[in-house]
Amino acid sequence: MPTRAIQAIFYTRFHHEKGNRVLHQVPSGSITPSKLPSALPTPLFPFSSVTQYLIPTQQFCDRLLTFCVNHHRVIGYPVCIREGKYSRNEFIFNFAIVIGEDEEDWVCYGEVVRKLGRLLRGLEEQGGFLSREEEGVWEDEGSVNIGAGIDEGIGGFGVGGGSKVYALCEMVLEDLNNYAECMIPIDDSNTINLKLFPTRPPPPPILAHQVPLLTVCLSSLQQPISSDLTLNRVLPYINGVNSISHIAQLADTDLSLSRRAIQHLVYYGCVVLLDVFSFGAIYAPTAEIGGFIVDADVKEECMRYVSVPRMRLGSNAKTAVGSESSMERDERGSTSSSSSQHSATAASTLRTSEFDSHISQKDEEEESWQTDHETLITLYTSLRQGLTLKNWVLENLDLLAGIDVRRFITFGIIKGFLYRVHKYAIATSTALPPAPPTSLQTSAATSTSTTNMRDSDATTIRGNERVHHSSQTKMHHPSKHNVHAYANHPSFSLHRPSLASTTSVNQHQMTTNRHLKSQHLKAEDLHGFDSLDSNEARGSGLPLLRFLDGMHCFDEICTELGLPDKVIEAKVRGMGEGAGVVVHR
Amino acid sequence: MAVPLPPASNLHAILLVTKSRSLGPRLVFHYPPLSPSAAALAAAKDPAWFRHETSTASVDSRSSDSDWDSSSDSDDENDIEIGSRTSNGRASGRTGAGASQRVSDKAKLGSGVWGKQETIDEEDADGSDGDGDGAGGGRGGRGGDHDWDTVLGFKTDALEKMLSPSREFNKRRFELGVESIVFVGAPMFVRDDGLWKKLRRKKKKKKKKKLEDGDLVKNLSIAEEDEPFIYPQGFEPGYGHDSISTPSAPSDAGSDAHDTNPDMTMFNVVFVLNPPALEYQQRVKEMYANVTRKYAKALKYEEARFQYVWKESKRIIDLKQRAKETNASLTATWRTIVSTSPLAKSIAIMFDAISHDKIAHIHFDATFNTSFQIPQADSTPYLPNALEPQMPGLWLTTSNVVLEDNDAPMTQHATLLLLEDAEVLIKHLGGDSTGNAAAIAFYIRSIIPTKSLLKISKTHNILAHDMEYIASHLVYWRRARLIAPLSPRDTYIVSPNADMTVLPAAITVYAQRFPTLPTLPKILSMLSGTPRPFRNFIPTAEHREAYMEILAWLMRGGWVTQLRTFAWVRVTPEIKAQVAAEMAREERIKKAEEAQRELLSETESNAESLLSNKRNSLLSLASIRTSSPLRRTRRDAEEDMEYSTILSPRLTASQYRGAAGARAASSDAGSTSSQRTTIALNTSQRAESPSHLGLRDARQHRPSPLHLKPTSPSRRSVVSTTSPLDTSPPPDPKDFTHSTVLSPQKASSLEARWLDKIAQTFEDGVVISTNPSPPKHADGAFSSGGITGKELRESWPMLLRHLDGKHAIEDVSAREGIKRKRVAILFNAVREKGWLVVTRHW
Repeated sequence: MPTRAIQAIFYTRFHHEKGNRVLHQVPSGSITPSKLPSALPTPLFPFSSVTQYLIPTQQFCDRLLTFCVNHHRVIGYPVCIREGKYSRNEFIFNFAIVIGEDEEDWVCYGEVVRKLGRLLRGLEEQGGFLSREEEGVWEDEGSVNIGAGIDEGIGGFGVGGGSKVYALCEMVLEDLNNYAECMIPIDDSNTINLKLFPTRPPPPPILAHQVPLLTVCLSSLQQPISSDLTLNRVLPYINGVNSISHIAQLADTDLSLSRRAIQHLVYYGCVVLLDVFSFGAIYAPTAEIGGFIVDADVKEECMRYVSVPRMRLGSNAKTAVGSESSMERDERGSTSSSSSQHSATAASTLRTSEFDSHISQKDEEEESWQTDHETLITLYTSLRQGLTLKNWVLENLDLLAGIDVRRFITFGIIKGFLYRVHKYAIATSTALPPAPPTSLQTSAATSTSTTNMRDSDATTIRGNERVHHSSQTKMHHPSKHNVHAYANHPSFSLHRPSLASTTSVNQHQMTTNRHLKSQHLKAEDLHGFDSLDSNEARGSGLPLLRFLDGMHCFDEICTELGLPDKVIEAKVRGMGEGAGVVVHR
Repeated sequence: MAVPLPPASNLHAILLVTKSRSLGPRLVFHYPPLSPSAAALAAAKDPAWFRHETSTASVDSRSSDSDWDSSSDSDDENDIEIGSRTSNGRASGRTGAGASQRVSDKAKLGSGVWGKQETIDEEDADGSDGDGDGAGGGRGGRGGDHDWDTVLGFKTDALEKMLSPSREFNKRRFELGVESIVFVGAPMFVRDDGLWKKLRRKKKKKKKKKLEDGDLVKNLSIAEEDEPFIYPQGFEPGYGHDSISTPSAPSDAGSDAHDTNPDMTMFNVVFVLNPPALEYQQRVKEMYANVTRKYAKALKYEEARFQYVWKESKRIIDLKQRAKETNASLTATWRTIVSTSPLAKSIAIMFDAISHDKIAHIHFDATFNTSFQIPQADSTPYLPNALEPQMPGLWLTTSNVVLEDNDAPMTQHATLLLLEDAEVLIKHLGGDSTGNAAAIAFYIRSIIPTKSLLKISKTHNILAHDMEYIASHLVYWRRARLIAPLSPRDTYIVSPNADMTVLPAAITVYAQRFPTLPTLPKILSMLSGTPRPFRNFIPTAEHREAYMEILAWLMRGGWVTQLRTFAWVRVTPEIKAQVAAEMAREERIKKAEEAQRELLSETESNAESLLSNKRNSLLSLASIRTSSPLRRTRRDAEEDMEYSTILSPRLTASQYRGAAGARAASSDAGSTSSQRTTIALNTSQRAESPSHLGLRDARQHRPSPLHLKPTSPSRRSVVSTTSPLDTSPPPDPKDFTHSTVLSPQKASSLEARWLDKIAQTFEDGVVISTNPSPPKHADGAFSSGGITGKELRESWPMLLRHLDGKHAIEDVSAREGIKRKRVAILFNAVREKGWLVVTRHW
């Protein structure tokens, strides 16, 4: 961010007899009038009116002091060194920076000034870095006219190359303006390193049901990005599909530590947060859909992002491979154009080339697989409140050829022109049935089985088959773990790794016989829940109950309780006449 | 502008500093009495001023997590928090006290060189304060409530000097940052002639002072509303003579008998903020522009009238002095001061209101009341994503977004949604308004959210201007919001931005208000399915009123928002092919007539082209000229000519020169040869990029990822001319693709022709019956009916004005003065023919 925002740097010093004097200023004439030929015609602001803020009372020394004058913002860090060797036992100086008053992010300049002030204080205390240079200067000035004279004397001195402090001012100004950082060796043992770090907004709290998606190809970096063990373990599982609680299980890390690790990534803008993708979810356009329709670049980007790789036209086996690689691409995380700059590193070119190869392949068969902008518009505008993704897919089957539905939705979410319509459950009466009647559970079971039937319908959609199933299975995995975790059986947690392996086996089996298996898995979940439920009912009441205040969306409830969406909805709706309602927001 | 920031004033204290000839710079008053120490505030933010610390909750719980916290701001924090702030203030007070003696020493030593404004009095004052410091050190064991020497953790004497800027800052923004806290002030200086205001009669200031007892002060404070503040000699409230006898008073307080000069030369009301780094500029500016400066101006006005500030200051200083001598606690003293001095009271009110993001009603005297606030956004079109600051409960709508074109203001067609009940509101307003309270009450009672202001003013014989004034007043002071009139035919959804955390509270409030109707969760659940017009939820006609009331209540709380319909025109390949064929034909005709037209001057035809009309019959020669685009400049046309001479050898330059800009435009848009498609692309960009940019600005695009990448207008291919066109007639529809006309008002020539062509498809006489809302886009509002193609064609230009994706179809009837039903019929007729891209959002 070299913005040339720094307009001037100056070094001012309080002299026990002469008062406040600007000893060095870059550019010359910017603070006090100077007669040098290169000087600015008029100072940026009247120095005399602000001296009390540059050299303040001791109360305000060794603090960052900023003030605005004449549309400039002056950031100083007055330093007061109290030592017997100085006259009147103190040495007060300020090394200040002048920037524009309206500079948005001036805090980073403040940090530089603070560091500089502290460094100079150290240097002065060590070897009189500042005071040494002043020998003879003040005497010279005695004969010269006070005011303009001093600047000339020192300035000339500085320009002559003798003054290290002047050189410092000059280098800091130039380097920070041009490169946003500088490294200035002072002597054998001291170096000044400064860098302007842009201020970043504080990261939001990270919730367990959110789905992180990398925007930067972190795996391509030469060194691990952090020595944070949790972060390094969590990283491979961030793929835009797994929720954080699922990631924590896969990586076998503590959930709160994982959340914190993700928060770090969010802070540095490496990750965006999405919702749990499922075909039961509802998405609708936001007001920014207009921006999408108007902007051809975004549509182009969208086409690149959502289209399924070419190889899918081949046999089924090839299909699987193709989508696998597309999944893999996800995991590596190139998502949007915002990341494209980051992927400029050499290592990521491999990814890019892979990506390009997809495109080039696509180009070969351009004619048959063309998805044009208007199709995208039609598809996005046909999403609406009250329409689940599944039904939407069924409605638009013919248009969805060659489009990866998950990526299609994700793209809209990332760009902000789609939003997820979240479901909330509200218990309307406080006196709730203590435990659900068995009929409820059976109804839940039947509802899930019907769901499966419908799901299997959906799987006939060619383009989305793979995604669909991966998402489905992934939806179930956390449930399973969560059930056990929730039950708090130590034996279960001991077995967790083995469980994970069996489920992964399940996953493989499911590719062959997936309907059966998934149903089986769901039944398992249900079974686990029933036992859990009765346990919990005896203890602290229905676990679901605490989520029924309308503050917890279904994603959250599902993640916390480890139950599929359908089961919970059935439970809520089955709570009795009007006792539980579902609100979409 | 970006996403509106959640209201957070970050205000931590208000200080009043005066500079007088007798006392020098003085920190007259600060509020709250036990201010959080700057050190604590700064430590919380140091080194990076992010707001995710948790340890600092006691000091700035509001600012640190108000952005993200899901619970509503705790409004009662003030009293509770004073306790916790005490410890902070005290701790930092002690750290400051360590260096206090040295400070005062240094101040004495340096005073000759430092501030010119420091007088001998000041020196003495320093000395006395120095004594005070010593005493303060001795009192170290006492609580912060007795800490008289530090404010915000700074030594009072140092602080008051810092906050007394030099004259260069007169009427300018005074902004002093100390670590992460910032002092924002608007210093007001007395004029050189000793007056506070131009053209004011010089008022002699009486210098003789006398002690008045407390009772007298009270009497005076009551009486002062009637009196013009000319007290009988010796009865002025303020600084008393007895101060001289006290050891800490300036020795010569009474001796500054400059009869012609006012004692006070400057006052500075300083607001102490602690804004987060990234919001710094905005927060400081808001505070300065809306509160600090206006308050300072009001005080100056009062000062000019009857030395309000200085008299009150002297009184406060006196009270403080006496309390300090008796070593009273700060909080008790402050209670006395606030109850005694209207100035102190106004500062206290100001602090309590502004720090809680409310409106401060300040009562200066009988004839002068005013209110201060930092305006808050009452709606936003942007739904924040998971990474952005959340503002749950904020009304989500695009209806308040100002579009770039000079639309007639919608105020008259909108209505006011009162944010409080009318009677409550009237009571509030009655409190601080005077004569016309009855009139205002009448206005307010007449406002109902289902009728537009225009209708209301008609039925109640209220002047439209008055109505508009009242509307803007109520909206500005957060009493009401401008909304589209609520209608059972409109569609409402649960707002994605609804604040679910306040739901439990809302349920009970709702239950009290509508006890016999379905509960709030039921209603919300009802509105959360497939969007349907609101009337579908009203069981019977008798329920209509009650349900509309519920709807108004829901709107007020931001629970629901209107789902509005936006549309663009989509052009089919068939239309494009037809237009292309016509243009090819025209091209031939044109060539044939080239000879005659060679004589036409370029300027003439250019002028004509500028005046051209989009609606044309396309076949006559004259219409070729008039069909040219409105926004093309001659330069464009000439560039086109250059390109075409290069690219298409068949057309010579001379031919074009004869043809002039207008024809060049129409022919190039028609893309007569395959090579020329790229040029057509170019021209379309040129024609549209300004509008494109305008749209950007007007829609306040936030820096969402969508807009992170600066989109260069040069690569836009809206008019998808990518498909190669063969010169060989007739053009095949297969060579074209669908495309969307983004802004019919600013359509390129080609787009305009497409739109005209579409209009021609609306055949005469054929009755287009519109279905009663296909379920896909459940628009029950647009009821069934029939319309002839002729009518449709006549309304087409009117309809086109709204088919740019920025104007809601729901607004058409109000804007154009057409019946809602008719708009619905027209719209549905066009949509069913497949000419529209329709999307619905708030």
